[in-house]
Amino acid sequence: MAQIIVVTSGKGGVGKTTTSASIAVGLAERGFKTVVIDFDIGLRNLDLIMGCERRVVYDFVNVIRGEASLNQALIRDKHVSELYILPASQTRDKDALTTEGVAVVLEELRKTFDYIVCDSPAGIERGAQLAMYFADHAIVVTNPEVSSVRDSDRMLGLLSSKTKRAEESREPITEHLLLTRYSPKRVTKGDMLSISDVNEILAIPLLGVIPESQAVLRASNAGDPVILDRESDAGQAYADAVSRFLGQDLPYRFIEEKTHWLKRLFSFKEKEAV
Amino acid sequence: MSAASLVVNRHTCFQFKASFAPCTIMQISRYDLEALQEELTDIISRAPNFFLGAPIVIDLEKIKTFGEINFAKLKEILTAKNLVPMGVRNGSPEQLAWAAAQGLPALSIGKLTHGESSKKAEKQSTKLITLPIRSGMQVYAKEADLIVTAPVSAGAELLADGHIHVYGPLRGRALAGVQGNMNARIFCHTLEAELISIAGYYLTKEDMQPLPESHGMIQIYLDNEQVRIETIS
Repeated sequence: MAQIIVVTSGKGGVGKTTTSASIAVGLAERGFKTVVIDFDIGLRNLDLIMGCERRVVYDFVNVIRGEASLNQALIRDKHVSELYILPASQTRDKDALTTEGVAVVLEELRKTFDYIVCDSPAGIERGAQLAMYFADHAIVVTNPEVSSVRDSDRMLGLLSSKTKRAEESREPITEHLLLTRYSPKRVTKGDMLSISDVNEILAIPLLGVIPESQAVLRASNAGDPVILDRESDAGQAYADAVSRFLGQDLPYRFIEEKTHWLKRLFSFKEKEAV
Repeated sequence: MSAASLVVNRHTCFQFKASFAPCTIMQISRYDLEALQEELTDIISRAPNFFLGAPIVIDLEKIKTFGEINFAKLKEILTAKNLVPMGVRNGSPEQLAWAAAQGLPALSIGKLTHGESSKKAEKQSTKLITLPIRSGMQVYAKEADLIVTAPVSAGAELLADGHIHVYGPLRGRALAGVQGNMNARIFCHTLEAELISIAGYYLTKEDMQPLPESHGMIQIYLDNEQVRIETIS
């Protein structure tokens, strides 16, 4: 039986789609048959990040309305086998999604896939609530700043009350925190919330810390999920996050400020002088 | 209006609707109708529109032991000032009977009398919350105390008719005694709340004095209509 993962945040622009793409690729690379669904109807983005925008014919809404079959709408990913993309409709709006329609599609996908990754739209309206409704796991993407943390907190509240698991009083959704755009340098300066600051407020297990990185924008523009950029710090951090999701215990990387070796030498000397 | 109600149901000519209409309580502390009239004139002259047509409930709690009260005269004074006397409360049985004779029925709205509140206390059970209360969530302990053993996030709201105990960090709003129980208290370990309120008297974060670095348990209570924050060492 497939596991449904929702990638959500409340706030926009924090890295939900980037995360959905990289987590989906990461899971598929490890041999799990994975599908990633774009729930952001009307603001289709996932296809761009996955680099399949030119192959979109049918979309999620077409499938829900019975205008196309799932097989017609699923796009095979060009990077990894075992990964499929179900794009959002660009011309409709979020009201085109219905609970029953989404349930039917997810039920169908559950039969053949191991993981279903749902890329939630921003906000707390219908699209976001439907993306999380059927989930087993939630990856809450948060930037280290106060408004993002508060929005994530609100999402955690909804996850524990407005989902199928909550309504049926089953075991609650497994919550994971993913801190993105983290800059150790700005944390040291006091411009940014630290990991412990965020953890104090949200208090859920930390799946990973993705450093602020040039590689992310480069990857988005190229249509190659950043996890595939194995040289980059962000790519490696996403790979770690996937490992942790699958149960491995890894230390967190890229959370300390990088200091140039010359600077380190000088600070050593300064210490000696004292 | 009549057309609208027809649409609701053709067979009934009225509906009962629950509501909490605002009502001004006039608590009389000294029975002296002349002085009362003067004071009233003075207060109303300062905010004439606020009192225009205001429904008034006369509270007799503080002059309960007083024998004869001229309700007809009292009613006349209020009506002359464009106030609408609705009834009386908290009086002695004789007082309530006299008032009723003058068209002022006995009401039991708003603050309960001591006898009633102790009866309520027996019925109270406690609501226990063990999961975090996140931003945007609201928890109400109706006719009960509320105990929270998890964090209360900024933007969350705790409401209780009785006391509120919070064992995690309190960052949201906490309102105890929301039905008017002025003896309700809030207990917490760390106070980072956005707002605290006892029986409608509140303090916002801005009004709260910073507490000493290392403090023990905190209690918040109402003292003479002032919200007090106190550490218990």
